[in-house]
This record gives sequence, structure tokens and C-alpha cells, in this order.
Amino acid sequence: MSSVLDVVLSSAFLAAVLRVATPYLLAAFGGLVAERAGVSNIALEGQMLSAACTGALVAGYSGSVAAGAVCGVAVATLLGVLLAALRLELGADAIIAGIGINLLASGATAYAVYTLLDDKGGTSGLKSGTLPTVTLPGIESIPVVGDVLSGQNLITWLAFLVAPFVAWLFYRTRFGFHLRAVGEMPDAAASVGIPVRRVQYAGLALSGALAGLAGVFLSMGYVSFFVRDMTAGRGFIALAAVFLGGLRPWGVFLAALGFGAAEALAVQLGTLDVPPQLVSTIPYAMTLVALAVYAWRRKRRGTTTEVAASL
Amino acid sequence: MTTTPMTAIEAEDRRQYRTTRRRDLAVDLSMALATILAALAIGFLVMLATGNDPVRAYEVMLTGPLDRSFRVGRWLEDATTLTLLGLSVAIPFRARQISLGAESQLYAGALAAAAVAIFLPLPAVAAVIVPMVAAAMAGAGMGLVPGSMKARLGANEIVATLMLNAIAVRVYDYLVNGPLKEPGSSAVHSKSIQEDSALTPLSEWFGIPMGRANVGLGLMLVTAVALWLLITRTPLGYRIRMTGSNPDFAAYGGIKVPRVIEWSFVIGGAVAGLAGAHLVQGVYGRLEPGLAGSLAFEGIVVALLARNNPLVVVVAGLFYSYLRAGGDIMEQQTDVGTEIVVVIQAVIVLLVTAQALPDLLKRRIARRQVGVR
Amino acid sequence: MNEPWGKDGPALAARAVTKTYANGVRAVRGVDLEVPPGEIRAVVGENGAGKSTLMKLFYGLEQPSSGTILIGGRPRTLRGPASAIALGVGMVHQNLMLVPSFTVAQNVVLGVEPGRRGLVDPKAAVETTARLAAEAGLSVDPRARVDEVSVGMRQRAEILKALHRQAKVLILDEPTAVLTPQETEDLFAAVRRLRDGGMTVLFISHKLREVREISDQVSVMRAGSLVGTVATADATERSLASMMVGRDLSLDVDRSPARTAQVTLRVRNLGYEAPVGQSLHGLDFDVAAGEIVGVAGIEGNGQSELAEILAGLRRPTEGTVHVGGTDTAGLDVAGHRRAGIGYVPEDRLHNGAALDESIADNLVVDRHDRPPLARRGILHPNAVRAHAERLIEEYAIRTPDPSVPVRALSGGNMQKVIVARELSAGPRLLIASQVTRGVDVGAMRFMYEQLIAARDAGAAVLLFSADLTELLALSDWLLVLREGRLVGRFDDTTGLTEKRVGLYMLGVEEHDRAHLTTGLGLTGTGTGEASTA
Repeated sequence: MSSVLDVVLSSAFLAAVLRVATPYLLAAFGGLVAERAGVSNIALEGQMLSAACTGALVAGYSGSVAAGAVCGVAVATLLGVLLAALRLELGADAIIAGIGINLLASGATAYAVYTLLDDKGGTSGLKSGTLPTVTLPGIESIPVVGDVLSGQNLITWLAFLVAPFVAWLFYRTRFGFHLRAVGEMPDAAASVGIPVRRVQYAGLALSGALAGLAGVFLSMGYVSFFVRDMTAGRGFIALAAVFLGGLRPWGVFLAALGFGAAEALAVQLGTLDVPPQLVSTIPYAMTLVALAVYAWRRKRRGTTTEVAASL
Repeated sequence: MTTTPMTAIEAEDRRQYRTTRRRDLAVDLSMALATILAALAIGFLVMLATGNDPVRAYEVMLTGPLDRSFRVGRWLEDATTLTLLGLSVAIPFRARQISLGAESQLYAGALAAAAVAIFLPLPAVAAVIVPMVAAAMAGAGMGLVPGSMKARLGANEIVATLMLNAIAVRVYDYLVNGPLKEPGSSAVHSKSIQEDSALTPLSEWFGIPMGRANVGLGLMLVTAVALWLLITRTPLGYRIRMTGSNPDFAAYGGIKVPRVIEWSFVIGGAVAGLAGAHLVQGVYGRLEPGLAGSLAFEGIVVALLARNNPLVVVVAGLFYSYLRAGGDIMEQQTDVGTEIVVVIQAVIVLLVTAQALPDLLKRRIARRQVGVR
Repeated sequence: MNEPWGKDGPALAARAVTKTYANGVRAVRGVDLEVPPGEIRAVVGENGAGKSTLMKLFYGLEQPSSGTILIGGRPRTLRGPASAIALGVGMVHQNLMLVPSFTVAQNVVLGVEPGRRGLVDPKAAVETTARLAAEAGLSVDPRARVDEVSVGMRQRAEILKALHRQAKVLILDEPTAVLTPQETEDLFAAVRRLRDGGMTVLFISHKLREVREISDQVSVMRAGSLVGTVATADATERSLASMMVGRDLSLDVDRSPARTAQVTLRVRNLGYEAPVGQSLHGLDFDVAAGEIVGVAGIEGNGQSELAEILAGLRRPTEGTVHVGGTDTAGLDVAGHRRAGIGYVPEDRLHNGAALDESIADNLVVDRHDRPPLARRGILHPNAVRAHAERLIEEYAIRTPDPSVPVRALSGGNMQKVIVARELSAGPRLLIASQVTRGVDVGAMRFMYEQLIAARDAGAAVLLFSADLTELLALSDWLLVLREGRLVGRFDDTTGLTEKRVGLYMLGVEEHDRAHLTTGLGLTGTGTGEASTA
């Protein structure tokens, strides 16, 4: 097993963890914001997918990576608003509406790519480019840390700033205060004149935007093309991280990072003559076990968290 | 207070209640129709906007599946699997368990059916039935895992079923590419099942080419009726309904809610397992990579469209498959991608889940009638 | 921040206000009401008389269909609570509107948080709350989480919330329903202080005694209309009651003395370790067939836990419970029901009914798996329907059809469905919690009659109620529960006053163990005297 240890302790592996964890972190915080606003966002998957597709297409046709990223995030944000409208205006079940949006995203992205590029697979025929990487001056000279951090994508940096940002937003700002009140006790919030719906709209828009950043990273961060259904269930994993993290910013941060690490590990172990399919089940099996242990411990403590039961 | 004979007011109340119910039913039906038309209209606009000819596309899509008998066969074969998957989630949904695990249960069922049908020599009738029973049991077992986690520990079933799907898909992929791969074959698939284990194709019965449609269709219809009877005519069905409506009430009434939740997952899992058996014994005759495609998630949509009523699931499944089959034909004969069907389906889901829409309409109609009076 | 108030005229007024809901229900009809500044005005009426709707109109939660709302002497259009708050109207809702995981201070400032540029200054929030609390004489712990403080403190936090918004009008919607007598006294003192400082107070209640104690004038509502306004000094409880219901309301319940037989419920050394909520310690008591035993206590002192243990919804950690000779240890809920226990739960919306299911289905939850409804594993819908039709008739449930979902019924009819189910099972022991909560006067009488009829038919009835008057009127004898222990036992309720029971509920007095366990056949128990002063 020394070869495994070698892999895990290498700076290349740590760099891979950061890279792989990026979409999980962003999407998970998107899920967290929505959940705390009182609406489960199961549409993270579709929002990521739409952003990834829009980003690659706009960047490819306009030649501007920035324009692609902005449009990608904007589309995901709009899908967040759509979910909010269905839930808040038309009384839709958030889970079902989320499934509908995921379906819409899956169909619309594939249809768009096929119609525009006559390609069933993705946008590899379109030159769309990647978002810039960021290297802090002087950081490369620090051993290990330099190797891990230098050359990481702009969005990876953003992803790691999202945790402190959301924590600050939740516990220090008036908006976060209102968001949590609205999610936990909408009647109480309404009775003191907080515009409940407006806050929820804002929360779901932010949720969609974060998922959008995650999607844009997929098609414009490490690779420079969109592949049909390229999110491959990451939105759902992110949702799992929201619950494993106990609906708290730093818990969600650790859970999402853990998923990233597990997936990076699976990829690395796959090079060591183990069936890759079986190795890649590790993060899912871990989640399942963690879910059971977490539920069991919560049950033993005897405190039932209503928030978690809201799904 | 003593009981009084029915007053005129009460009789009037009763009459009005009946009228309201009839009106609501009519509104529900026309809403369903309007929803489908609205979704098709949106699809029309999308095709128009993307420079395609929507009239021709719809003509092919909506008439295509009935064009030739083997196309009808394709539609019915697809509808059988899809409806079984819809039924499999409708039962846990009735207990308000959001089980998204049909995919894992289907793969478990397919593996079990294939294992028996390929490797276990059995006499004629048993050769068909035993693999199906094995598939149902495997699916039920796969359903029991998230069911027990939810019922006994309170673990979120959405997350648990999604994780199990991810695991099952990968393990299945490994098995089909590895241990179960047909030796010496260049393509990735398992050995074929024994001939006796195959579900009889409908072509043999009707004497016309019906593609891969098979007697599994009848099995699906029987399953739907059985599940409807289960929900409406058995104590377990009652317990599932009450648990779904208000679990605290069910527990207060003496119903063992955890057991009911487990049963709903087990029954759903067994039906999804049967869907896997149908694919192995009826459609492909062996294990193929990515056997289920996206059918499992679309089964959820079918169940939702049917409001989890088993008999309506059949109608919704047939309709939905018809669109899928039509979409494929449309893609072959026009430039329009079959994905437009997924978009149309998504719009239907979004319209159906917008519950306030029909209520708004009902209220408006009611108000107009009050105004007339 | 407030728009200017007029110099003279009423603080709060309604002119010909009518409110018709979208479903056609006319909750308020042509109400004219004027409340001068600095007055405590009580608004009384039966459930459904329109009190709450009228208050919602004043607070902007609903908009009038016609007529005008005046605040500070000027006509106003209230688009939501925000505009009412801005005009100086504060409201303390019946079910408190607090965020459980927030602290008292955070709840007080919610919506108008101190701090600059979109940030919240937590220190300022605590300071503001402490200052307001000191000024108004409402003691709270600003840093405590709301879900960890008493109901009384939550209510004080609600009032501080209104004060923090510089309310000039304070609406209190049934504020004493959840308070101990002592907390009620404190609340009244605080309200009087606020009034003396110029605050206008609207006090919604159906407790006429409290209304007489606190208010300057009383407005009576009935069926959506304002029946009249009288000076409190000129009103008696009886005259107010007759205005409310349009007939003389007798508060006495017609009840013959109990004819008790053998012991049905035997509870010995019952203990319960609660993960959340109140634990129970060493309870001993008997209930005989043919008697109603009331359990008094301030809400949250173990009544819910005791009721749910007896119904089988929770398992005791210590002691034994026998019902008609059956030891209920190890039985599940269904086993408890088989042993002959019926239970009317305290919150019918929580677990008393499946609101979206039909009346028929709601009536069979305990008997859906046996004849005549189910035979050989088959449930017969026609039998379920016939069963429902019989009970609807017998219990006078007002509904056009058994297939109507329970959600569509009024509170009283919903409760009738539950009582019909529990009583038609012919229970040996009936546990009845808050049977008349939120039901109208007619249904209330009906419930009383049913409980007494069940008793006379030989059932042992254990009655939990937050309404002491009701307990005293119905019970043959009374137990008092405080902090999970039995602290009082009154073997005869005739002549017993609410005040006396209140002393035990509040812990001022306590019976000794000898008195509490008299006649239970416990060893080491003499015929002890009550240690009442």
C-alpha cells in the first residue's frame, strides 16, 4: 500500500483534490443557500449543466471566455428564479419542479448542441477556451503549497472563498439574517414585514448562480468543451454534501471537500490495476455509510432536526 | 346535541358538493389535455426558433409510431419498461417516500434475472418464471436498503437512493465489462440467456413483425391492476396512503409506520426488478451496457403525471413512450433532434407540478357560476 | 419613520369594514370600531366571530374587501404588515411568531436590525433588547435561544419586538392562553404600564374574567359583526356572554355524581426520561371505570408526555401501567388500542387526522384491518363508507359526504370526527387532551355531553385541559401535575376554586405523598393529611 500513500501525499494529488472539489464546493453552497431559504434546490444538476453548455457555446461563438462565463452563470441564475417562481407563485413541489428543470436542462442542452453543431456528443468541435488560472506572486517558491496552489483555475480560488463568504453572509449580514428567518419560520419573517418571497427569490437566484459557476468550471475550467450530460450527477452529490454538512457552512465545506478528495483518490487508484468502476464507487459508498451513521447518531441523540426532514 | 333529520340546507349542500366534484373532475381532465397541448406548443415554438419545420416534425412524431407494426412493437416494448418503472416509484411516492432508486433496483433485477436465465438450467415454464422471481427479489432487496435506512434511522431517502444508483450503475458496468462478459466476443455484453427463459415475442402471437415487444406487456398490465387493488382494497394499501398523508396520524392510529415505509420500498423495488427482468428476458436477451438508459428517471416523471395512481400510470407510460418513439422516428426522418421530446416532457412536468394553475382555474369558474346565479 | 398621526381622533378605527375571502366566506361584516388612544380595549367573541380577521386587517395581513381602516386618525391602505408596522401597529400573535433558533435579542430586532450597510450589529441588538426590557418591566434573557426559554418569556419577547418598532398600538391575540396565572398577572401589569405610557392596546380574548380584569371597554363580536361596545365597569361576565352568543350561556355542565366501579387504569411509579421536553417522576394514581379524572397543570409540565405514554406513543423508562388488568409494557400503539385505550390527541392537526384524506378513511385508522371493514386481507370500500355514514349521523358531523377531505371541515367538525372515532371504539380508558381547543360553543357542549356519556357508559376518562374552568366543571376528581410530578390531588371538585388549584399548579402549595397515594394500596402510606395551608 506504500504506492497508495505515495499517491495521496504527492502535491499533484492535493492539487487534483482542489480541482476536483471545485464544482462540488460551489454547487453544495448553492444547495445550502437554497435549503436555508426554505426551498430544496434539487435542480443544481440542471443549473450546472445549462451553465456548462451555455458557457462553452457563448465562448465558442463570441470568442470571449468572459462572456461565456457570464452568460453561463446568468442562465443558471434564471433557472434558480424559475424554480422559485414555480414554487412560490404556482405552488409547485420543489423536488418535482427540480426534477423537471433537470430534465429540461438535459433535453435543451443536447438539443441546442445538436441543432447548432450537428453533434450528438458535445461541443468538442467548437473552440471555446478556458478561464484563466491564477498564481499569487511568490507563492510558487513555497514548497508543496506552491505546487498545490499555483496554476489553479480562477474558479477554484473562488470556490474556496465561497465558504467564508456564505458564513459571513448568513451570520453577519441583514440579508443572511432574513434568509435564515424566512427559511426557518416564514410566518415570523412575514409578520415583521420581511418580504418573504423576495428573500426566497434572491436566495434561489444566488443558489443558481453558485451552481452556474460550478457548471462553467466544468466546461471552461480544466477542459474547453461541453459534453452531453457532463455534470454526471455532481449536483446530486453536492446536495448530499449539504445534508452531510448539517446545513452549516463549514460542515458543508468539509463534506464537499471530502467528496472531492474521494473522487480524486478514485481516479488515482484507478491507475493501480484496480477496476476503475469499482474504485469510483468509493465516494458514493462513503456517503451512504456516512448518511447512515449520521442519521443513527442523530436518532440516538434524540433530537430530530426538522430542517433535514423537509426534503 | 341530538341527531336531526336532514334539513333542506343539508340536502342543498349535498347537491352542491356533487356538482362541485363533477366540475372539478372535468376541469382536471381538460387541464391534463391543455397541459399536453401547451407543452407541444412550446416544442413547436422552439423548433420554429431553431429553424426547423415543426409541422413536418410533429406529423412524423405523432403518426410515426403507428406507421408500421414493428414500430408499434417498439413503442409497446418501451412502454412496458417505462410503465413498470413508473409503477415502481408510484408506490413509495404514495407513502410520501421520495425514492429515486428505480435505477439501482432495475440493475439489481436485471443481474439476478440474467444470472438465473444464463446459468441455471430449468424446465420450460420455470425457466421464464424463476428468473423473474429472482429479479423481483433482487429489486426488493435493493429497495429495502434505503427503505430501512429511512424507516429505522431517518436517513434521507433521496440521498440514499441516489448514492445506491451511482454504486449500482458502476458495479453493473464492471460486471458486464468483466466477469459476465461473453468470452471471446469483441463487443461488450453477456452471454445470451437460454431460449426457454425468453419472454414470448408478440410477433409470434399476432404473426406480424412487432419488434421486440413481448408478453411482458401483459405482465405490466397485470402488475398495474394488482398495485391498484393493493392501494385501494387492502389494509396495507390503506396504511401506505395514511402514512403518506400524515405519518404522525398513522402512528397514532396504531400503524407501524417504519414497517409500512419499508414495505413501500420493497414493493416498489420488486416492480423495478421486474422491469430489469423484462429488459433481459424480453428485449435484449442478455446484459447490455447501460441497459436502462434514462428510463428510470423518466419513470419518476410518469408516476408524477399519473399522480401515483397505478391505473393512470399505465396511460401516462403509454403516452410518454409514444412521444419517445415518435421522437426517434422524427430524428431519422427530419433534421430535428429527438431531444426536443425531452424538452416537451420537461415542460409537461413543470406544468403539472404547478398545482396552483388548475386551482386558479377552478376558482375562476366557480366565481363565474356564483356570479351567474 | 412613521407617517404623521393626526392630533385628535381614535388611535385605531374601522369604518364599515367588510372582509370576504376568496372562497366566499364573509368573515367580517360592516364593522365600525373606534379605539381612542391610551385605552385597553378588549374584543371578545366566539371562535369564528371574526376577531382574528379584524385584527389581521388592522395589521395588514389581510386587506378589507370594502370599508376603511384608520390608524392615527387617518385612512390608510395597508399592503402588508410592513406598512402597519411603519404606522406604529404591533401585534402579538396567538401562536408566537418567533424564529426558534434565533436568540431573544435577534428576534426582537428582526426586520429592523441595528447596524450599518447591510450588516447586523449583534452587540447593539442585545443592548437594545436589554434596555427595552428594563423600560417596560418585561424580564427576558436577550442572549438565550428562543427554543430554550419559557412560553412566557417568548411572549415578552414578542411584546418587546413591537416596542422596538415604536408601536403606538399593540394588538394582543389571546395572549393568556399559554400563560400561568402568575405570568398572566405579570403580563397584565406590564400592559397597564404601557397603557399609562400612552399605548393603545387591543386585547383579544374569550376569557371573560380576564377581559373584566384588564380592559377599559369591551367590544363584542358575533358572526362577523360588531354587536356592541360597553364600558367594562358596566359589564358582567354573564351579560357579555349573552351578547356573544345571543342567548344566556350557562357555564355549568349537567353532570350527575359518578358511579364508579373497579379500577380501570392503574399507574405505579411511572417515570419517563424525556430527550426533549418534560420528564416524569414517580407517578402513582388509579382511575376507576365510570369517572372523569382531570389533570390540571400549566402547559408543558408533563401532560403531553403522560398522555402519550398512556396511549402507547412513548415508552416509559420506569414503572408500570395496567389498563383493565393488562400490563401495557412492551405493547405498541395498536396493542394499547386493543387493550381498550382511546386517545383524543391534544393537537388534532398534528396527529389526530390525515387532513387530505376523506372523513371515511379518517374514521377507520384503528380498525381498517379487521371485520366488518376488512375480511381475509381485503378492505371493502363500501363497508368503510357505510361505517362513516353511521358515525356522521350519530355524532352530527356537518358534511355533505363521507368522501370530503377532513381539511374542508371546521375545527369543531374536525374534532367531532376524532371523538367519533375514539368513542365508537368503545374504549375502556379514554384519554382526552384539549378536546375543546379551537372549537365553537356548540361543539364544545357536544364534547362535554359525549365525555359524560362515555363516563356514564362505564369508561374511565382521563381529561387533560388547559382550561381550568372546564376541568373543574367536568372532573369528578382532580390531579395536579407540575414539573413531571404529581403535586396535588383533590378528591372532590365541588366547591373547588380555580384559584386554589392554581396555587398547586404554581408550586405555592403541595400535597404530601401520603395524601397523594391514599387508597392506592402502597406500602408505607398512612392516611396522611393534606398539607394545605
